[in-house]
Amino acid sequence: MMNQTAASTLSAENISVWFGERQVLEDVNLVFPANQVTALIGPSGCGKSTFLRTLNRMHELIPGAGLAGSVLLDGKDIYAPTVDAVDVRIKIGMVFQKPNPFPTMSIRDNILSGLKLSGRKIENADELVETSLRRASIWNEVKDRLGDQALSLSGGQQQRLCIARSLAMNPEVLLMDEPCSALDPGSTRRIEETIEELSASMTIVIVTHNMQQAQRVSHQTAFFLAEEGTPGGVVEFGRTEDVFNRPVDLRTNDYVNGHFG
Amino acid sequence: MSTPVNRRPWAVTSRAYRAQLALVIAVPPLFTLAIMLLTKIDFSVALLGVFAPMQILVTALFGFLKGRRRGLGDALLVFFTIFFSALVLVLLLSVLGSVIAEGAKAFSPHFLYQNNRYVGTTTSLEYGGVGHAIVGTLLIVLLTTIAAVPLGIAMAVYLTQSQSKLRGLVRTMTQSLAGLPSVVSGLFILAVMGFAHMERSGLTGAMALFPLMLPTVARVAEESLRLVPADLRMAALALGAPNYKAFFQVILPAAKSGIVTALLLGLARIVGETAPLILTININNTTNWNPFNGPIAALPTYVYSFLGSTYTNSQNRAWGGALVLLILVGILFASARIVSRKKSLTTKKNKKAENAK
Repeated sequence: MMNQTAASTLSAENISVWFGERQVLEDVNLVFPANQVTALIGPSGCGKSTFLRTLNRMHELIPGAGLAGSVLLDGKDIYAPTVDAVDVRIKIGMVFQKPNPFPTMSIRDNILSGLKLSGRKIENADELVETSLRRASIWNEVKDRLGDQALSLSGGQQQRLCIARSLAMNPEVLLMDEPCSALDPGSTRRIEETIEELSASMTIVIVTHNMQQAQRVSHQTAFFLAEEGTPGGVVEFGRTEDVFNRPVDLRTNDYVNGHFG
Repeated sequence: MSTPVNRRPWAVTSRAYRAQLALVIAVPPLFTLAIMLLTKIDFSVALLGVFAPMQILVTALFGFLKGRRRGLGDALLVFFTIFFSALVLVLLLSVLGSVIAEGAKAFSPHFLYQNNRYVGTTTSLEYGGVGHAIVGTLLIVLLTTIAAVPLGIAMAVYLTQSQSKLRGLVRTMTQSLAGLPSVVSGLFILAVMGFAHMERSGLTGAMALFPLMLPTVARVAEESLRLVPADLRMAALALGAPNYKAFFQVILPAAKSGIVTALLLGLARIVGETAPLILTININNTTNWNPFNGPIAALPTYVYSFLGSTYTNSQNRAWGGALVLLILVGILFASARIVSRKKSLTTKKNKKAENAK
């Protein structure tokens, strides 16, 4: 196995977000302890994905983006003026909603692309490719065709390839933005198993619209909600079993039981 | 159970329908031909005065019988589509045909490599050629390309990758530059030459072609870069790539075939330009390999200077030059096609791989 960096604790303090003049998130405070899986749930448009993007400084790439508050990785603010966004993104990996493997690269090159793109040396490339693909539980399906184009894989395989690509960077935190929304139940199950295994070595934050998935994979859950005409925010945050079985807020109760959203 | 037969039920037609269709296709042309033979009227008069109205009427009637108003509209649409496509095709083929027929008189292997030295107006076509003009055209086009392509791609990058507020202005300027009459570009460089005391040479010719090639390259490259999904850039940046690496290693390779098409369309845009070259390079009958010094020949100016001649041999040489130019443009467009087709081939391959699983 390659040497693994320890997982880190990530915490968001007083996060508010704007797009232009419109505020979409207000005063979000969440802590993601090391080796824990946190699910972010809530209806569409409540700012979950936007919040996720503030955690690895992808938010600032959107024109008109604005932010208040701070995000601490092991106590250090990732938005401090001395911190380079590129270094943040190396430590905090991200998996997108739609599989987005690099179409011009082979499966193998996709895995190594992160190291190449961030300008780091590649030692033991073969070992790294195998380990990453194994950790994303896709090794057995692609081990005989590592030189094939990444786009020749099915949607579910592409998504696991993207997870493997993030894992090759050995991140301390992995952010997942609805990673299973475009996948069939079989692929979804395999990705969920992957998440469970990964939490041993990293901190995971996952946005999901699937209540069962949140219950299956996460240790803690945050429920986001944007009331009409107001910015979104966290309504309830706690242990997953508490949020789903003994919600404190009536709105949480309605949402997790499918009464709205 | 019987084996199913692949019959395409939507394509099954009745015998009466097929007979009607045959009549619609056959009667108007034959009738027009008969009228032409009987009355000896001109072809274009027959085409527009007899054939077109009759074909429209018959087609409309056929469509109306088949499906009332909807059928009428469909039938007329089909007719006009075929009619105008054929018109354009005939125009193109007649241009090509006349150039090939006239150009073939002067065309021969030595025509491609000999130059125009010691060739007079009455010299036999067995001597002389456009070798010097091919060399000149290639050198001028090469110089222009070296300057315009990197800059054009850089403009496309600026227009697609940056968030700058000046983008709208730059795009508008690029589009107006694309509409710049080529003779104006030549005049501008002529004025610059007088101002800077420059002699006419391949370089000044390339300077005059530069403003024509730049917007074509920039626009086509911009379109192809825009087609690269934003997801890919986001994926690269999320992996910790600096902007320039995300561009060179992810975005540019994904847009590669489009960028090559931009280069080739830019080449095709300038290779036949005549007016700016008449103003900025001099006629030269000998082969000049140095585009920075002295007058140089080019295919378009060669054609221009010989076409006005009253001597048959000179006129034939002009047509021959035009044919060589057409072949050059044809080669460029064919390579553009092949390069842009490559993309769809790989996607097909991918589909196959997916089906094979």
